[in-house]
Amino acid sequence: MSGAAVLDTAPNATAQGLLGDPELWHCIQCGTCSGICPFGYLMDFPPSKMIAALRSETYQKVMAADTVWMCIACSACTTACPTKIPITVNLMSRTKEELLLEGNIPSELQAALENSQRYGNPMGESPRKRTQWIQETDQVPFMGKDTREADILWFVGDYPSFHTGVQPTARAFARLLNALGVNFAILGNDEQSDGDSQRLAGERGLFEMLAEKNARAFGKYTFNMIVTTDPHAYNAFKNAYPELDIRYPAQHYTQFLAERLEQLKPLLKRELQAKVTYHDPCYLGRVNGVYDEPRALLSAIPGITLVEMVHNRSTSLCCGGGGGGMWMDGFQWEKAGVRLSEWRVREAVRAGADILAVACPYEKPRFEDATKTVKGADKLLVKDLSELLADAME
Amino acid sequence: MSEKIGVYICHCGSNIAGMVDVEEVARWAKETFPEVAISRDYKFMCSSPGQELIENDIKEHGLTRVVVAACSPHLHEPTFRGACQRAGLNPFLFEMASIREQVSWVSTDRKIATQKSKALVEGAIRRVVYHEPLEPIAVDIHPDVLIVGGGVTGIQAALEIADSGYHVYLVEREPSIGGHMAQFDKTFPTLDCSACILTPKMYSAGTHPNITLLSYSEVEKVDGYVGNFTVRIRKRARKINEELCTGCLLCQEKCPKKIVDDVFEVGMAKRKAVYVPFPQAVPKYPVIDTENCLYFQKGACRLCEKVCPTNAIDFAQEDEILTVQVGNIILATGYDLFDCKRIPQYGYGVLDNVITSLEFERLTNASGPTGGKVLLKDGRVPESIGIIHCVGSRDENYNIYCSSICCMQSLKFAHLAHEKTGAKVYNFYIDIRTPAKSYEEFYRRIQEEGTFFVRGKVGEVTDFARTPEEEGKLIVQVYDTLAGIQRRIPVDMVILSAGLEPRRDAKEVGKLFGISCSADGWLIERHPKLDPVATMTEGVYIAGCAQGPKDIPACVSQGAAAAARVVGRIQQKSILLEPVRASVVEEQCSGCRICNDLCPFNAITFDEEKNVSVINPALCQGCGTCVAACPAGAIVGTHFSNQQIMAQIEGLLDLAFEPSE
Repeated sequence: MSGAAVLDTAPNATAQGLLGDPELWHCIQCGTCSGICPFGYLMDFPPSKMIAALRSETYQKVMAADTVWMCIACSACTTACPTKIPITVNLMSRTKEELLLEGNIPSELQAALENSQRYGNPMGESPRKRTQWIQETDQVPFMGKDTREADILWFVGDYPSFHTGVQPTARAFARLLNALGVNFAILGNDEQSDGDSQRLAGERGLFEMLAEKNARAFGKYTFNMIVTTDPHAYNAFKNAYPELDIRYPAQHYTQFLAERLEQLKPLLKRELQAKVTYHDPCYLGRVNGVYDEPRALLSAIPGITLVEMVHNRSTSLCCGGGGGGMWMDGFQWEKAGVRLSEWRVREAVRAGADILAVACPYEKPRFEDATKTVKGADKLLVKDLSELLADAME
Repeated sequence: MSEKIGVYICHCGSNIAGMVDVEEVARWAKETFPEVAISRDYKFMCSSPGQELIENDIKEHGLTRVVVAACSPHLHEPTFRGACQRAGLNPFLFEMASIREQVSWVSTDRKIATQKSKALVEGAIRRVVYHEPLEPIAVDIHPDVLIVGGGVTGIQAALEIADSGYHVYLVEREPSIGGHMAQFDKTFPTLDCSACILTPKMYSAGTHPNITLLSYSEVEKVDGYVGNFTVRIRKRARKINEELCTGCLLCQEKCPKKIVDDVFEVGMAKRKAVYVPFPQAVPKYPVIDTENCLYFQKGACRLCEKVCPTNAIDFAQEDEILTVQVGNIILATGYDLFDCKRIPQYGYGVLDNVITSLEFERLTNASGPTGGKVLLKDGRVPESIGIIHCVGSRDENYNIYCSSICCMQSLKFAHLAHEKTGAKVYNFYIDIRTPAKSYEEFYRRIQEEGTFFVRGKVGEVTDFARTPEEEGKLIVQVYDTLAGIQRRIPVDMVILSAGLEPRRDAKEVGKLFGISCSADGWLIERHPKLDPVATMTEGVYIAGCAQGPKDIPACVSQGAAAAARVVGRIQQKSILLEPVRASVVEEQCSGCRICNDLCPFNAITFDEEKNVSVINPALCQGCGTCVAACPAGAIVGTHFSNQQIMAQIEGLLDLAFEPSE
């Protein structure tokens, strides 16, 4: 990282830009943001101190540090901020944008961003492999190949498409859609990364490029709504794409299924005698206020006892994967020596859960890894809600 | 037109003159309108010389109409009307144009602001020509007073008025007066015992010959107007005959049914089904809580009836409806505590030993659930205590305002907690605000006692330990903004200094009494600086926390201030009301009755014989709703006739369409 310790008093562009944002002037320096931040203790400049640096005209010190990269855009600060400053999007992401331009960026993140640009997905997989998760028995129609019109466009997302540990969640959701008789289709290999995590990691230009590619694919077909298996994609379609004038009604799959709960319920025949705890994904819960639908779905599975972890709903603890965290594991491990997913798994164990239910594709691999390192977590199963529901149908 | 109009343009220092070319407006008015005899601009029209200017011009030049372009008529219309009157001109032959609130304060372009000022002045000139001389309506003032709310504010107001020799109806919703102050232990900054200074006042209020105390009662309906309100009060059945009851409380002692007391003891202790909320309650009579009484719920028990030595238990007693006449009303309805469950990251309601400020008051109160011992839920004495300031205050997610009492309250808690437990005490604050007499000195005292002040609003309180030292503790995670580090401080008890909020039913109460609430829900005063206890409705006053968060000294001052205003009013014996009233032109009224239900003051009745609607001029407040609603145009608003309004509109539009350069 850049170790520039020289105090440059010339106003830099970031500071000038941020100071032009009237919302930051509302800050009362209460420190709530820095107090609630799960990695606040590791940051040289947690959010409130970044604002203090702006006001003291010493922002170059922030730009010279690398701990802004501990931010996983979990939005805990934004949610709690008493003056409603959009810290995550305005302060953190814009600072990351500038850090990125100056080359002050962890190399693993750099690689993920380059992959996203080159291959349309952060893991650098061939775009042609995007639909390889689909097996012969799955009935998944493609836009273009099979149809040009469907009620629902299912936006699968990068991890359910490519990550072998997450692919079963996509297959489970396909089964649910078919069981409910939903008229749906996917984009197939035309689908690009939704770009939201890249945006929150500071790569706005890349985000816009990915969004426009997706928009071109959307534009080719007729559908009524997008349903996505990824809360980050949901957030993109709901909050970020409209800023680029790309407007489609969108739902996360838990919302979509909860609306059809009466139809779904009779299909859920198989009992699951288990204590289940639900992890609220940041971009479903805190950022978009969806708390009840996933719980309603879980409660519909016969035999399940729902238990809550210490941090739940708006206080949910991030799995560590957001805002590019997914692609900075090495960097963050070096700083922290612990993963947020490990804390979270400890909470699930304390709650007495047999199953940790998730609804975001980042979470399954992260929590599964953590169950291997956290004491007493070896019996804890990590399951996506779609898997639990599909299993209950058998 | 033979009118001679005087036009006066006020500079308001630089308030208006800084944005409006006042000389130009004055010059233009004189040149443009032949009926304008004199047109002047002046630094402060509301000053004595300013008013004398008008008076002299009326006398010397025989002005028949006056227009002043200045601030909002809310502020100085009475001032200039007075000037007209002193010079012998009927005060209603005056019109005011607001070129401060409506122009200079909200404009950034001097040219446009000047143009708009001219338009407003032209509207006023054209309108004032059609004004007619009017005489104010005199009404008598009933000397009795209604006070709603028996907290310290209401008690103070009641005693002041009663001591002045006038009768007060003091209405309290709870079984006893005393309000929140009765729940407190010590009061800042002197740390004198709350009960010791309050109960003598409660007793006086309960026994004063000029006070009718109506506890366990609520106002249901208010009719009338200043000087002559008719108030319907529901006196809920205590199921106790107050004539017979001696307040021996044998019933309470023997009652077998215990219920958690959510009101006075804020859920920290139990009470009986027949109870007084606390030993010093005024009145001393208990109440049977029929929702929990075994007899009322299951038909059996009646133990209280058996033990009562004076046969005062009256299961058949029913609510009583009282109708009283009063001339003035004071609302001292107080506040509700912020619901700390709304901030989930502080763990209230989930974590044992995270308690609210009011719960701590009960805990530390000698007559409270622990006899004044500060204990954890498991009975242990806390070794460390965290006090979080600004909970639900200074937070746009909940209440943007500062609740003003929490800093001092939290400092008091630090003292009491330290004194009673020897615990290490942390105060987590954003800013310490101690802006009153002896308050900063109190802060200093608490600092000297060894309180650990941490500048930072707490991020979260959790019981999820990360280290062995944190096990079994509440961990306060906070960014210490002065040290520049995130800290996790393990403590045994957390006290949330909850903010004050408007009563949940403040809006309905406001509606009942014809006054409104501000955007944040508090009842609104007539003027925030110069008329803090009056409201926009004549004869209705507000005091104490009903108007906004306040500490006890401020509440008492406001209670006394409202009382002084009311006594002053009563001593005037009658009051002159503006003659701005609506009236029905009977020949044009079709008898459709549309206006009857629209009137917010219930001033319109229907004359079945004549088949026309009739407006009671004493009840009418001149709001104009009926005038606008009448499909036949049969209702006339005095001082707001169609002719007057159309002339004003024409004046306004005449210039507005001229392109500005």
